Formats: sequence, C-alpha cells, structure tokens
Amino acid sequence: MQDFKNNIYNYKVTPPEGMWERIADKLDDEKVIKIHNYRKSKFVFYGATAAASVVIIFLGSLFFKKNEKPHPSANVPVKTSKLLAQKIKDSINLNQKILESIIHNPKEKKEIIAKNSSLNRVNKKYITVANPDGQPVKISPKVATLIISADNEFPPKPIWNKKIREWQKIMLSTTVLPTSANLIDVVQLASKNDNSIDKVD
Amino acid sequence: MQRLLYDRFASMMYAVCLRYSENTEDANDVMQEGFIKVFKSLSKFRAEGSFEGWVRRIFINTSIEHYRKKVKLYNVSEVQENTIEDNELNALDSLATKDVLNIINELSPGYKQVFNMHVIEGYSHKEIADMLGITEGTSKSQLARAKGVLKKIIETRIDKKIE
Repeated sequence: MQDFKNNIYNYKVTPPEGMWERIADKLDDEKVIKIHNYRKSKFVFYGATAAASVVIIFLGSLFFKKNEKPHPSANVPVKTSKLLAQKIKDSINLNQKILESIIHNPKEKKEIIAKNSSLNRVNKKYITVANPDGQPVKISPKVATLIISADNEFPPKPIWNKKIREWQKIMLSTTVLPTSANLIDVVQLASKNDNSIDKVD
Repeated sequence: MQRLLYDRFASMMYAVCLRYSENTEDANDVMQEGFIKVFKSLSKFRAEGSFEGWVRRIFINTSIEHYRKKVKLYNVSEVQENTIEDNELNALDSLATKDVLNIINELSPGYKQVFNMHVIEGYSHKEIADMLGITEGTSKSQLARAKGVLKKIIETRIDKKIE
C-alpha cells in the first residue's frame, strides 16, 4: 500500500493554461487595493502630522508670547518712571539742602517756623478767651489766625501788632462774641475808640 | 519570485487540488486561491519544516475551507466499524496512479477528505479532527467507511477485468 501512497503524494498534474495569468491578475488587483490602502493610510498619516504640527505651533506661540521680553519701544514707561524717580530724588535732595540752609540761617528758620505755625493754627487752632462775665469764649479760626499772626509775623509790624492788641482788648471787654460775621463791627468799634483816643491825645 | 514559486510547485499543488475537489472547476479555484495565500503568507514561514510541506498545508486548508459549506461531516457515536486492514487495499499498488486517483475521486467528498488526509498526507485523526472541526471518532469512522467503499470499487473493477 505504501507505493500508491507515495505515488499519489508526489503525483503531478500540469495546471491548465492561463492559470498563472489568472493568479497574476488577482495579485494585481490585490496590489491595487494595497496601493489604495497605502495611499489612504499615507494621507491619514500626513494629515495627522500636519494637524499635530499646527497644534504644536499654536501652543508654542502661546508659550513664547507669554514669556516674551518687552520690545525696546515698550521701555518708555520704565524710562519715564525712572526719570520721575530721579526727579523726586533730586527734589528731595534740593529740599534737604534748603532745609539745612534754613536751619543754619536763623532768619529763614524763623520765617519758616512762623509760616508753619500760622498754617497749623488756621486749620486746627481755636482761641478760647474769657469774656467780661468770666465765661469762656471760643474764637473762630479765621479771627484766631488774625490775632495770632500779630505775634508771629516776621518781619515785625509794630503798628499792625498794636492794632491787633487793641482788638484783643475790645473783644475781651465786649459782650458781643466775635465771629467771622460780626468781626467787622468789632473792628469798626475799635477804630472809633482809637480815633477818639487820638483826638483826646 | 512569485512566478518562480509557481513554476516550482504548480503541478504538484494542482494534483492536490484535484484530489480534494469534486471537479476541475473547483480545483482551479482552489489552485488560484491557494497560491495567493502562499504569496501573501511568505513572511509567516518559520522554516520549522520543509517549505514544500508548508505550501501543501496551505493548499489542503484552502481546499477544506472551500468545501466546508458543501461537505458536512456529522459527528457520529463511536460505532464499531468493520475494520478493513490496509493490506486489503494492496490491490491499489498494482494500479496506475491515475487509476487510483480516479477510484479515490469516486468517494463521496467527506470520505475523500478524511482518506486523503490520513492515508496520503499522513495526518493523525487528532489533526484531522482539529482541521475539520470534528471528533476523532468521526474521523476514524469516516476513514473506515471510505476504505470499505474503496474495497468494493476495487473488487468490482477486478471482477469486471476477470469477466
């Protein structure tokens, strides 16, 4: 039985004509399909690459824009602020020099102190005086400034100081409280008294 | 290269196709399909066995796939078949290969598949069962019946010759 087995196993039959052509045609069809798929996959690959590139460029531009150093033209505010700081510094230095010179010069010192004290009094101070009845009277800031300035005025104005002192006496002796409204009446009264005194003299 | 492979194996594989097919037309279809599979699967050849054996296996599998819808082997219970000894088929040795092939082709497709795979190709019943999706018992009973049919055909032919 081994003989017929081997004979059949190794038996050969020539295929019909055109068999290879049929196989080759089928292979060509497969290749066409393969090429088509290859082109399709190639297209997908390049498409995906392009899309990825766009995304990377976009993200990169965002990143670099965020970390970008300011353009030289953008330094103007910085320069301005530097100039301003320099000006302030210069001004402070100047003030310091002036202050030092005032401190070492008694005349200017007095003037400055007088100005400062008068300003402070204008804004903050009241003068409280006792009227003839012994009741305390608060004099308004405007009148108070007028009165106090007589003491601190520099250079001294003797005539003006004399008048102020007289007004002070009048105000202290009068029962009419001096306010900014009736101050004129008080002064007029004082002037009349002055005139009468002058005439007597 | 494909043409060289075709020229080398075409006649041998065409004989295989004819043996597993019911007619020439089907054999031509299997032949075409088989070579395309070989060309596509060349990279999968591991050189663990002979290249010819690998190619033959592809053609046999292609034939089985081609006939899977047509040939349906029913799993049968283990029925004790009348065992036909191989020496009872020794008469086939005296016949020309072409005549033997003609006798084998007279078998029904199911018998022919199992007979070819076991007797000619040398597959075990386990391998046949795996390849055809049947049990080993079915493979054995199919083979026994195939041999019985072959014996009858041979006897008939011998009787005709004597007459």
